[in-house]
Amino acid sequence: MAKINPGTIILSVFMMMVLCVPAFAGGPFGPPQPLAKDSGGLRTAVGYWYHEDKFDNGADHVIRQNQVYSEVAYGAGKAWEVYGRVGVSSIEIEDALSSARPSTTSSKSDFEDNWKFFGTLGAKGFYPFNETFGVGAFVQGTYFFRDADDNVSGMTGGAPYTMELRLTDLWDVNFGIGFQATLWRDAKLYAGPYVCYAEAQVSPAPAMSGVRLGSGDTTLQNKTNVGGFMGIDVPIAKGFRLNVEGQYSERFSAGAAITLVY
Amino acid sequence: MVKRFYFLILVVAFLWAGSSHGADTAQTMNQTMLPGKSRSVAASSSVQENKVGTGDARTSAADRESPDEEAVDEEEEEGEEEEEGEVSISDPLESFNRAMFQFNDRLYFWVVKPVAQGYSKVVPESGRSSVKNFFSNLGFPKRFVSCLFQADFGSAATELGRFVVNTVWGVGGLLDPAANKELGLQKQDADIGQTLGIYGLGHGFYIVWPVFGPSSLRDTVDIAGEYFQSPFTYADPWYVGPSVRAYEGVNSASLRIGDYEALKEAAIDPYVALRNAYAQYRQNMVKKKEKRETPAPGGAKPSQRIFQ
Repeated sequence: MAKINPGTIILSVFMMMVLCVPAFAGGPFGPPQPLAKDSGGLRTAVGYWYHEDKFDNGADHVIRQNQVYSEVAYGAGKAWEVYGRVGVSSIEIEDALSSARPSTTSSKSDFEDNWKFFGTLGAKGFYPFNETFGVGAFVQGTYFFRDADDNVSGMTGGAPYTMELRLTDLWDVNFGIGFQATLWRDAKLYAGPYVCYAEAQVSPAPAMSGVRLGSGDTTLQNKTNVGGFMGIDVPIAKGFRLNVEGQYSERFSAGAAITLVY
Repeated sequence: MVKRFYFLILVVAFLWAGSSHGADTAQTMNQTMLPGKSRSVAASSSVQENKVGTGDARTSAADRESPDEEAVDEEEEEGEEEEEGEVSISDPLESFNRAMFQFNDRLYFWVVKPVAQGYSKVVPESGRSSVKNFFSNLGFPKRFVSCLFQADFGSAATELGRFVVNTVWGVGGLLDPAANKELGLQKQDADIGQTLGIYGLGHGFYIVWPVFGPSSLRDTVDIAGEYFQSPFTYADPWYVGPSVRAYEGVNSASLRIGDYEALKEAAIDPYVALRNAYAQYRQNMVKKKEKRETPAPGGAKPSQRIFQ
């Protein structure tokens, strides 16, 4: 294995993080090089992902998700892999239900819902420069199958109201390039930039102009479309590996997964 | 629900009481209920409780000349029988069992096999194996509890590890990564009937249940246990459970089409062949556990695979 200059890696990662502007994304990307056996095989994983980002709708709103997922992948030749992921997630949007006018009060300010089922599909390819370094590319998309909803009540113009806010068709698609260095004992350090597009529909019932996201049906989109990611994947024992990854955009997202290759 | 458990406890108590009388009771029952009709499947194995053969195939104790000769004869017989690996089982309900055998045979050839063949044309073998893995994973509680009751804590731990690995990293049990070379957590064939056998309970007698197939009085408890431990039993509406079980049966049959046919073709009397195979298979399961032997992977004969 060729000797790695740690300074070069740190500088490269730092440059990528600084140059990247925020984005909205929905899950880890994993190491660029597929882990499945050369002859072809399966890889499964379970993981947790904490996601935090901003979307823009006149005013910025922070969105938070706690995702728990199970993943299965098939790949071959350490060169390509397709994978699918299913999981459940909580969704929180800051200030989505807070009052937008002095004449309106609301019982809560944040939109919250739990246990929303989502699915992710992705594919990646990898090209090794040598035994240590390589570059890969991936594309990954996530869709929330279940609508999220929350209720708020309060007074507007002296009259009581109750409103339901429904979040539907939350999806995102990501494309990225990852640079990888294989370290001691097959540990893989990786980092790279990515682009992302995400959107969701918001529908209040009934429309309530005094509530921030309650004025009518609208489409939310992620505030910016690029970001950077960095992670490490290390073997544990008996085919198990630990993957830890962070993504930086407007906010920081991170997670960990335990992978089994067989 | 409570009534069901009481019933189950009563059945277990009944079986236990029956076992305490050992071979004599079984033989008496055999002779009393269906004198002359009960068949000796084959010579009995070394396990005395299962020595229930009567009439033609055996020399009765009354015909023997002396206790010493009797003992010598018995030893010789046992030696031969162990070599052949044959086991007997009492069959006082033979006429009923033969009728049920015919029913199951027709059910297999007229319904299950055609459906399974059609199903196997649509779903590839890997998919069907995954379904089998899924249902096998759901059978974890039965195997785990049986291992605990057998005081086989190593196997219980293996089962627990398999369940966790296959549920978490095997996509809810559809895959079986626990059995791979590195982890090496093989499925432990343990059930309630086997557990009762290890505690000294004999087969009782052979019984062929419609749909469920060959069983014994002892192993019938296992059918009941399997019913109660299945999560689909408690599914609502009521037809979910039977539907899922039917699907499981078809899927399972699709993976071993030909095994039953081979056994049937090779046998002069398929009913007796199946009864022998069943008794031998179950006896071996008990003996292997008693000796704490791990069955060799793929070591089961085709006739034994039918019951797996």
